[in-house]
Amino acid sequence: MGREVSESCIDSLLTEMVSSYCNRFYANKPELAARRIEAIGYQVGHQLSERYTMERPRFSDHLEAIKFICKDFWSELFKKQIDNLKTNHRGTFVLQDNRFRWLARMSAESKAAQAMSMYLYFPCGIIRGALSNLGIPCAVSADISNLPACEYPESYVLCVVMHACSLCSNGHCHGQL
Amino acid sequence: MIVCVAVVGHQSFTEADDALKLHHIVHCSLDVVDERVNNPKKSGPTLNETFLGLLYPTENYKVYGYLTNTKVKFILVTTDLDVRDVDVRNFFRRFHAAYVDAVSNPFHVPGKKITSRTFAERVSNIVKSFGLSST
Repeated sequence: MGREVSESCIDSLLTEMVSSYCNRFYANKPELAARRIEAIGYQVGHQLSERYTMERPRFSDHLEAIKFICKDFWSELFKKQIDNLKTNHRGTFVLQDNRFRWLARMSAESKAAQAMSMYLYFPCGIIRGALSNLGIPCAVSADISNLPACEYPESYVLCVVMHACSLCSNGHCHGQL
Repeated sequence: MIVCVAVVGHQSFTEADDALKLHHIVHCSLDVVDERVNNPKKSGPTLNETFLGLLYPTENYKVYGYLTNTKVKFILVTTDLDVRDVDVRNFFRRFHAAYVDAVSNPFHVPGKKITSRTFAERVSNIVKSFGLSST
């Protein structure tokens, strides 16, 4: 069903995308590079959400849509579901993936922390694009950490924080995370 | 026979003769779609809603609607009087697949009209085979 591409191609494409935007197109302007990468992710997420919601019945509420992101959408993109979902019931959700696939090949040098965060803008954009197409405009940001002494020693924990203004009770909310 | 198929969401694409009248029909049917969506009877979140809507005084049209998860509406206008439900569902399923492929085009701007020739051809084929298969 549909054409497939090898995972290493995707890995290479993502690496090159970050490298091109950070070192060539917007060298010395990391905020611009980040914004551009996030925007690309947004468009991709928009289109993927069309495709992956195709055979499904309509979502009855926002929570269903978020669960879809956590399970089916995450599985299509990252080959697994997320491991933990938390919410403050006021519009903020934290999605935790204990073994984020797209960072699986990255080394854990401490100086690379800033550089590593560049690789998170694309997945954040994808999630923001998908949710916005499902009717939940939101702000998305992500954080990574290493789980010490866990079963997956070389893996990264990705925490995605998502704030949906429409779901929070604060009338003056401007999407601050 | 199918007279008009419209995609309405953020963009619209119509293939029809007698465009103005059909635009009118499509717009009216959009109101019905909105009404149905906003007053859900909670009879199960079904993906497709079929409704025999607007019978016009001079000519009889049947208008079917389909609403995706991403709030894109497909409207089908046909002059066939004995259309089978399963045919319409099949039609929308294939049309949805063609739509998803057209929208996945990186050169497509969301919100603008779909200009893909491939999409037009696929829709044409789907329309031509509407109601012809006996399965």
